[in-house]
Amino acid sequence: MEIARELELGLPHGSVLVDREALKPYECDGLSAYRATPLVAAIPTDEAEVAAVLKVARRNKTPVVARGSGTGLSGGALPLADGILLSLARFNRIQDVNPTARTARVQPGVTNLRISQHVAPLGLYYAPDPSSQIACSIGGNVAENSGGVHCLKYGLTVHNVLRVRAINIEGDILELGSEALDAPGYDLMALITGSEGLLAVILEITVKLLPKPEVAQVIMASFSDVEKAGEAVANVIGAGIVPAGLEMMDKLATSAVEGFVHAGYDLEAEAILLAESDGTREEVADEIARMIEVMRASGATDIRVSQSDAERLRFWSGRKAAFPAVGRISPDYYCIDGSIPRAALGRVLSRIEELSARYGLRCANVFHAGDGNLHPLILYDANIAGELETTEKFASDILELCIEVGGTITGEHGVGVEKINQMCVQFATAELAQFHAVKAAFDPDGLLNPGKAVPTLHRCAEFGKMHVHRGAVAHPELPRF
Amino acid sequence: MSAVAEASLRQRALAALQAIRPHLTIIADVEGLKPFETDALIAHRETPMLAVLPETEGQVRDIVKACRKLGVPVVTRGAGTGISGGAIPHREGLLLVLSKMNEILEVDTVGRTATVEPGVRNLQVSEAVAAHGLFYAPDPSSQLICSIGGNVAENSGGVHCLKYGLTVHNLLAVRAVDADGDALLAGSRSLDAPGYDLLAVLTGSEGNLGVITQATVRLVPLPERTETLLAGFATVREAAEAVGEIIGEGIIPAALEMMDRVVIDACEKCMHLGLPRDADALLLVEVDGGDAEARDALARVSAILERCAATEVRVAADDAERARLWKSRKGAFTALATILPDFYTIDGTIPRRCLPDVLEYVYELAAEYGLVVGNVFHAGDGNIHPCIFYDANKPGDLERGEELGGRILERCVEVGGTITGEHGVGIEKLRQMCVQFRAPEIAAFHDTKRAFDPDGILNPGKAVPALKRCAEWGGTHVHGGRVPRADIPRF
Repeated sequence: MEIARELELGLPHGSVLVDREALKPYECDGLSAYRATPLVAAIPTDEAEVAAVLKVARRNKTPVVARGSGTGLSGGALPLADGILLSLARFNRIQDVNPTARTARVQPGVTNLRISQHVAPLGLYYAPDPSSQIACSIGGNVAENSGGVHCLKYGLTVHNVLRVRAINIEGDILELGSEALDAPGYDLMALITGSEGLLAVILEITVKLLPKPEVAQVIMASFSDVEKAGEAVANVIGAGIVPAGLEMMDKLATSAVEGFVHAGYDLEAEAILLAESDGTREEVADEIARMIEVMRASGATDIRVSQSDAERLRFWSGRKAAFPAVGRISPDYYCIDGSIPRAALGRVLSRIEELSARYGLRCANVFHAGDGNLHPLILYDANIAGELETTEKFASDILELCIEVGGTITGEHGVGVEKINQMCVQFATAELAQFHAVKAAFDPDGLLNPGKAVPTLHRCAEFGKMHVHRGAVAHPELPRF
Repeated sequence: MSAVAEASLRQRALAALQAIRPHLTIIADVEGLKPFETDALIAHRETPMLAVLPETEGQVRDIVKACRKLGVPVVTRGAGTGISGGAIPHREGLLLVLSKMNEILEVDTVGRTATVEPGVRNLQVSEAVAAHGLFYAPDPSSQLICSIGGNVAENSGGVHCLKYGLTVHNLLAVRAVDADGDALLAGSRSLDAPGYDLLAVLTGSEGNLGVITQATVRLVPLPERTETLLAGFATVREAAEAVGEIIGEGIIPAALEMMDRVVIDACEKCMHLGLPRDADALLLVEVDGGDAEARDALARVSAILERCAATEVRVAADDAERARLWKSRKGAFTALATILPDFYTIDGTIPRRCLPDVLEYVYELAAEYGLVVGNVFHAGDGNIHPCIFYDANKPGDLERGEELGGRILERCVEVGGTITGEHGVGIEKLRQMCVQFRAPEIAAFHDTKRAFDPDGILNPGKAVPALKRCAEWGGTHVHGGRVPRADIPRF
């Protein structure tokens, strides 16, 4: 193959994969229902080699899909059959750590958790913590603008990145952002963050590190109905409190979990809230007291506070095991990822309950309530005729509801290929056209990850005809977390 | 453009604007245009061809479309308080004044957001929501008059942005009209928005990418308790190191400001505040939050200040005393004006850890140039504002001051900092952009600009220098950091 030969000229032996067996591990990311075998995979070890790969791509007008750890849930790293898969797995060095400035300069292939582990002896950590943090790469986090349980207090990836070094399709190195508070010029660092590999390939990232909080404590509060729990969330935030984490689970979720991990949840409650506070001893004591007050005023029927770190972790264990637990009580489930303004939480949850009754399908809710990031889990059985279609309709209603109340179709998973049709619902033509203009400014020939994240206007026009299905997500049988 | 061509273009533009419905307020006479000929970079003046004051987004769209068709540049202006010249009119262009779009459209106290038109004043937002126990955090010194639209365009800061962030961190969504006359909605009221982050790109784009017609801002609950401390230090280095210690302990004060001997003396001479006379530097620290949190932070900050050899620490006992402590900082620039006839202020940002060394370098340079330099600035952010004093009547004084300023900015870039803190680039620092960035980044800025504004009609010539000009200026690299028009007072 001509492309492979050209790549081999610029890369050392063993860095270019062409045979089917070797390419197998790259055929999908975390959205495993979508699969494609790339034409060739390149695994460069330094910037010059990345530049060489892009040069080959440019010369041959061959598309390039960059890949980190392949844990993305929306298919952003899905290969193209006629394209090069550019793996950044070998860019796995932590270049330096500056404890005074509290920054770390890392290569994109470094895993999220490794950064925190590396700086732990200094009493520091990197705040954004996607569930997949043990495996996911920091480059992928930047590409998807990942979140996590703690992003309510500490922000998404974009809020924790200071600088990004990237290479565009022309092979030019761009140094974006700065370690200082403000950077002149357009905020291209924010633009690159969350751009899902469509604008440039990320080569190096300087992240912000935070001092590890002195203590952390978690409240578990029970509520007699879901809407009240939703209102309690709004009230906590409304009281000016920013908890380190604020998660909600409804009865279906807690009952599924309790039999599985024995977290000690209140099984009588229609919904429970887990609210974590971290900081200094005084700060935490004060915040916990204030949150208890708000929860009581919001109608909490029972409140427990973790008395040790072991108990705190036990309370969290149920939340972390929720998805696998739900998988045990239903043959299939489908997880939705959408964001809504916090104030709409109670209203949206009641509507979901109504929809659940109307469609005759159970729906468990386990999610980042403080962020307004919903993850409703629709339980169904793919073997029952028509149930999948009903699930899709239900899911579509929920996503439309998110948009209707002023929210969005993504929380933390990105758009990728999974939600590309929903982009047509989320945005008007002017915004989509602007996205394409931005893309063209960085990548005029559309060689970087084409077909992902932003739908063509043509596609939206066609999609408009299938209006009834517009919220439906393909392959709802996939487990997502 | 010849005078005849200019007059003809002006006639066509006027006719196009007059055709817009509902009728627009159009200013076409020279007298009427006079108040708009500069912003707060007052040494630069230009009379625009025409000025127009729309009241709706629909009118803004029609205006931009008309200008695009005629190839007439559009300079957007808010309250005209910008200090880098971002709203200086274009001689052959239209000045688009958004001061009539000044309504607070919606306040959502549960979601804690306010949706406002661009002409709403910064302070007006906080005033409107104070009754709900909320405020809008970014607070530029000019907050009494500066507009939210201008804040978005310049990504403005303020004393409290150390804890609460710059404008971009306090924005949820904006509506903007691009050069096609299309209205774009960027951002959302929820945590994450799909698609490219156009909100961040528009923020701080200095009117180059779109006209902001609406902003949804985040509101923050007023802190339950605020504590203010003033600490004296025997040396500037000790004070600068104390800044590092405070932040290093994981404390994020609401404000962390520094003043040196020159400034202390000026304040005393002017306001008789009873500031510590034996100190070479003062730190003004404010912590806020819940009752216990603020008390705890106060105790911790006090301990650090003592450990860092503060010669004196004063804690405000009440609001009156707090106001008195702040008076020195807020009145500093006025006080400085009494020292020598002229001064100008540099605006640069450095990584905090470099503060002691960079400040020392500033004093060394001052001695080398035989000029007085005073420092009063947002130390917690690393946003320095060295004030260079000179006498414009003394031959050579101004030039020496400019050169000194240039070398300070170059040092900012050298230590990993930037040439802006909170004032934007405008026309003032175009030249320094060439020092800050290499050609690929400047090219990426231009590509981004073209993606929004292919014909370059929106605020041309501001914020991003032409690559060609950088090449020309490259020859004068020693002076690459120097600030033109050094005779302008800045705050």
